[in-house]
Amino acid sequence: MKAAPFEHHEPSSVEEAVSLLESLDEPLVLAGGQSLVPMMRFRLAVPETVVDINAIDDLDYLRETDDHLELGALARHADVERSAAVAENYGSFADCAPLVADPQIRNRGTVAGSIAQSDPKGDWGSVLLAHDGEVVAHGPDGERTIPAEEFFLLPYDNSLDDAEIITALRVPASGDDEGSAYHKLKRKVGDYAMVGVAARVRLDGDEIADASLALTAVDITNVSVPDAADHLEGEVPSGDLFERAGELAADHSNPESDEHGSAEYKENMVRVLAQRALADAVRRARTDDPAGAVGSDQTAVGDD
Amino acid sequence: MTEKEITFTVNGTERELRVEPRKLLVHAIREDLDLTGTHIGCDTGNCGACTVYKDGEAVKSCLQFAPQADGSEITTVEGMEDLPEAGMGESDLHPVQEGFHEMHGLQCGFCTPGMMLAGKALLEEHDDPSETEIRQNISGNLCRCTGYQNIVKSIEYAADVLAGREPPESPVENPSSGVEATADGGEPDGGRTDGGRPLDLTREYPRGDGDE
Repeated sequence: MKAAPFEHHEPSSVEEAVSLLESLDEPLVLAGGQSLVPMMRFRLAVPETVVDINAIDDLDYLRETDDHLELGALARHADVERSAAVAENYGSFADCAPLVADPQIRNRGTVAGSIAQSDPKGDWGSVLLAHDGEVVAHGPDGERTIPAEEFFLLPYDNSLDDAEIITALRVPASGDDEGSAYHKLKRKVGDYAMVGVAARVRLDGDEIADASLALTAVDITNVSVPDAADHLEGEVPSGDLFERAGELAADHSNPESDEHGSAEYKENMVRVLAQRALADAVRRARTDDPAGAVGSDQTAVGDD
Repeated sequence: MTEKEITFTVNGTERELRVEPRKLLVHAIREDLDLTGTHIGCDTGNCGACTVYKDGEAVKSCLQFAPQADGSEITTVEGMEDLPEAGMGESDLHPVQEGFHEMHGLQCGFCTPGMMLAGKALLEEHDDPSETEIRQNISGNLCRCTGYQNIVKSIEYAADVLAGREPPESPVENPSSGVEATADGGEPDGGRTDGGRPLDLTREYPRGDGDE
């Protein structure tokens, strides 16, 4: 089916994009379009106008500064996959990128677009949450930052205002004593998550100084596990500790039974994947190879 | 609805089109430019039959609107023979095309254009990809004949040609290699007595209780 007719606008600056969003009737922002284009063709989205931000070159970057890893709104999944800075220091980003859809879609789809889509099955929200990230948004009143914790409201709904666009995603720079990982259970290569878990730990000597866990596809949005830090702080990493953290994550998850698996099964997989993600995060925090290969099943059946 | 004028280079030739913004790139390529080698399979972005090479990367042309291609450079399967790499192998074809020909990388052929452009994109980055890398790279392309085994071999063949290595001999019977083989890719008459013979429709075939 064809998309319903729409006007296509291509602003060349963020300001122009925002003023278009302010003046137009029910516009939608098009970045990578890998979810939006099929939604428009199925008439699940019927915008009268589309504000295509692909010509705003200022938004096309991925950079690591002393303070942050920052992804411009046009950073594609493939840019994350190919980034040396990510491979070196941000294990969960390096794990997540190749698990999103397929190579062609990763060449076009953007990480910020995926966050804006706010699909509870989207992977990046959990990674952003686990890293205490924030969303940088531009609107008629200028720029504001929204902590990832406050961003996701409902499935496909977030705290962006109507005339606001995401210009960047930002996470605090990862120190040498930090490690993170993302584990995902899916039915086949390129599929959405049945369950996903992002973990991040900071070590102080032998002990865990700080930690976070966030979950994909087991609640109405991507969610953090609220007490993860309290639970893990000051403890020495061990299998028993990860098991208790896994129980905590499972307790906080709220999956629904569907044709792919029962709620009990998914809850159990939260428990399992949380342990694996924590173990990988700790191992990466201890080594010089923070995004090194992780050995685990990423698929429900068979292998990649 | 305002139509948009777009100018893009397709297979080395600059083309101008007036399109509705809602027209997908794949429809512009097939319907307006009459380049029907780029296929439409699933209509949802899953199957990869519509894969084209755009500004240095493989993309699905059913997942973008035609105006988004304004100013871009696109190669479709029809343009592969005119690329600089064409003719590096035994034939005038692009090494990836030659690989699919030599290694029997197609059955019905519907997925072939997308598979070839996905393969080309991989070989731009890796001149010696592993089997796993090839399989990951075509994970966005579905073959409804499930002929993946030979598709992988075809891309391996092209990698050899592009890197100046000796490609493997074709296991299938075809004039360019001169190697005799059975149509199923096996050795000539290797263990089979009916290899290569035309199917006899009047013959009574033995009924096994297995899954033959």
